Amino acid sequence: MATRALLAAVSACPRRRIGIKSSTFSSSLQFQRQESRIIARSFSSYTNSSLSLPDISRLAETARISLTPAEIEECEPKIRQVIDWFGQLQQVDVNCVEPAIRAEMEGGNLREDAPQTFENRDSIRASIPSFDETYLKVPKVLNKE
Amino acid sequence: MLSTLQPPRSLTLLPFRRLHGSKTIASLASSSSPTLDASPASPPQSQILATRRSLLSGETTASEIAKSYLSRIRLTEPQLKCFLHVSENVLKDAQEIDERISRGEEVGPLAGVVIGVKDNICTEGMPSTAASRILEHYRPPFDATAVKKIKEMGGIVVGKTNMDEFGMGSTTEASAFQVTANPWDLTRVPGGSSGGSAAAVAARQCMVSLGSDTGGSVRQPASFCGVVGLKPTYGRVSRFGLMAYASSLDVIGCFGSTVADAGMLLHAVSGYDRFDSTSSKQDVPEFQSQFVSMDSFESKPLKGVRVGLIRETLEEGVDSGVRSATQEAASHLEALGCVLTEVSLPSFSLGLPAYYVIASSESSSNLSRYDGVRYGNQVMADELNKLYECSRGEGFGGEVKMRILMGTYALSAGYYDAYYKRAQQVRTLIRKDFKAALDQNDILISPAAPSAAYKIGEKKDDPLAMYAGDIMTVNVNLAGLPAIVLPCGLVEGGPSGLPVGLQMIGAAFDEEKLLKVGHIFEQTLKGSGFVPPMLPNVA
Repeated sequence: MATRALLAAVSACPRRRIGIKSSTFSSSLQFQRQESRIIARSFSSYTNSSLSLPDISRLAETARISLTPAEIEECEPKIRQVIDWFGQLQQVDVNCVEPAIRAEMEGGNLREDAPQTFENRDSIRASIPSFDETYLKVPKVLNKE
Repeated sequence: MLSTLQPPRSLTLLPFRRLHGSKTIASLASSSSPTLDASPASPPQSQILATRRSLLSGETTASEIAKSYLSRIRLTEPQLKCFLHVSENVLKDAQEIDERISRGEEVGPLAGVVIGVKDNICTEGMPSTAASRILEHYRPPFDATAVKKIKEMGGIVVGKTNMDEFGMGSTTEASAFQVTANPWDLTRVPGGSSGGSAAAVAARQCMVSLGSDTGGSVRQPASFCGVVGLKPTYGRVSRFGLMAYASSLDVIGCFGSTVADAGMLLHAVSGYDRFDSTSSKQDVPEFQSQFVSMDSFESKPLKGVRVGLIRETLEEGVDSGVRSATQEAASHLEALGCVLTEVSLPSFSLGLPAYYVIASSESSSNLSRYDGVRYGNQVMADELNKLYECSRGEGFGGEVKMRILMGTYALSAGYYDAYYKRAQQVRTLIRKDFKAALDQNDILISPAAPSAAYKIGEKKDDPLAMYAGDIMTVNVNLAGLPAIVLPCGLVEGGPSGLPVGLQMIGAAFDEEKLLKVGHIFEQTLKGSGFVPPMLPNVA
């Protein structure tokens, strides 16, 4: 089974070895097993102290999701555990590394930014829960804030 | 148990091989060189080509084919629960094809092919919910480009397949509506998130299916269900009409029971689309030329193909059965003429946390569109923010809420550099490592998942254990590369063994090579053809 050993696989992030090391296999089937670099770690050791723990109620408010107290109680430890695990990224040396926003691809595929008529308007309208002539109907927007 | 177990087909090439290091399968002690002549069980045949042949020769009709698939769905669906919706138009669509054929008109390359579509891919007038309550009963006003292409080529959309809600999960247990069972063992998960699409092809409820792959959601279920799963290069297939999860990673992918079927379906849906500015204008080669029949194989049909086995994918934490099946698959490739080397991707293990930061962050942004106002379920409230909060609170399931909240956290002011930006820098490192490895090799290989299918409920409440299962696949999405998963062996488990998938990773837009190598690999393996035990009579 997939184990936690995999999750903790980064260990202390050994200095990056750029490039690949390859060695030709003998066809004798058995691979030379590298000494495993996987070190089990406790999950509380990743998080950088300057990053505070998530406040679930606050996040839920920001994300506009209502949560029941029971849901908060259930997901809070899970979210903290995962975010703590994210913390291992802090140990990677990314000096002078450009972020990649997605896979490399050609540019110039944008179409002209001009409105076009969609034929099946009635079908779009049929999906709208509350509708009045050409307007979406929602409750009042102004509130005490 | 082992006596009834169909041996992993790759084993047939190797003497005295052991399954799980336990019992010798004596019958396998034969030649150590590849045998390319017809094996007792003939290699799997393309369903798409067989359909075309039998329709054009008048041997059968599209209606008869459609009826037989519908009756298999009726028979197996109560146990499997692969579909969230089965189309009412299947027979009507099939009749139209029959009429065209009887009038002597041309029919498209997918005429009569019965196709399942993952429920997060829009189908006009047919429910498309991404297995979420927030979109329950939603019927989109348009077809996704991939679906439109399938229909134009004569393909018949048989229904919408179950999945983890919005693609967030690895077992299909996170569907708001039902849990899909693995056809190899009904107590096990089919994998995910495209579990319904994979299980439906495995159970021959449809010939091929569409899925989506953000971090392995086509490849891991393909491995768990013993079918072929193809994740194309980022940008190869238009995503217009695919409900976005993590836009920098999402691709539409294909399932089939053979490499040829997955490849032909990919060919049908590929190409630039003006409705998706991330779709590529790269030429789409005619993949079909790669699917030559076995009779024309040379003795070393893959001579000189450089294959790199990714060292990090066979380390601790990977099941021994999976490890040995992968090593045997590597030996099989060698026997076919490939030059095998071991490669290291130093950034490999960083991919998992980087992936989950990026996917959660992008999902928190993408799923903001589900607010109960323009479509989907609305919970009435006296104030707009309450309407949003309650519609989303009631509409989203637990895993979706969790990922949105984690993404909201990672994108918060002051945290962006520490999480999202850093994860994108790690993506750069991963891309470089793959580039270096693929400069020296034609393809890279690894297991598709650290284990075979596990039990329903086994990892449901442990998110990190669940995420760990994605270690083999997420890096490929981060690098935007194409990869194919195909069954390479069985490990012990279930009534007659559980399939294990081999992942082959190629350079960007080089699906052709993956399909060529995959096809020859598949056709030269001997054995069962990976048909689940619940379908003894299906070829």
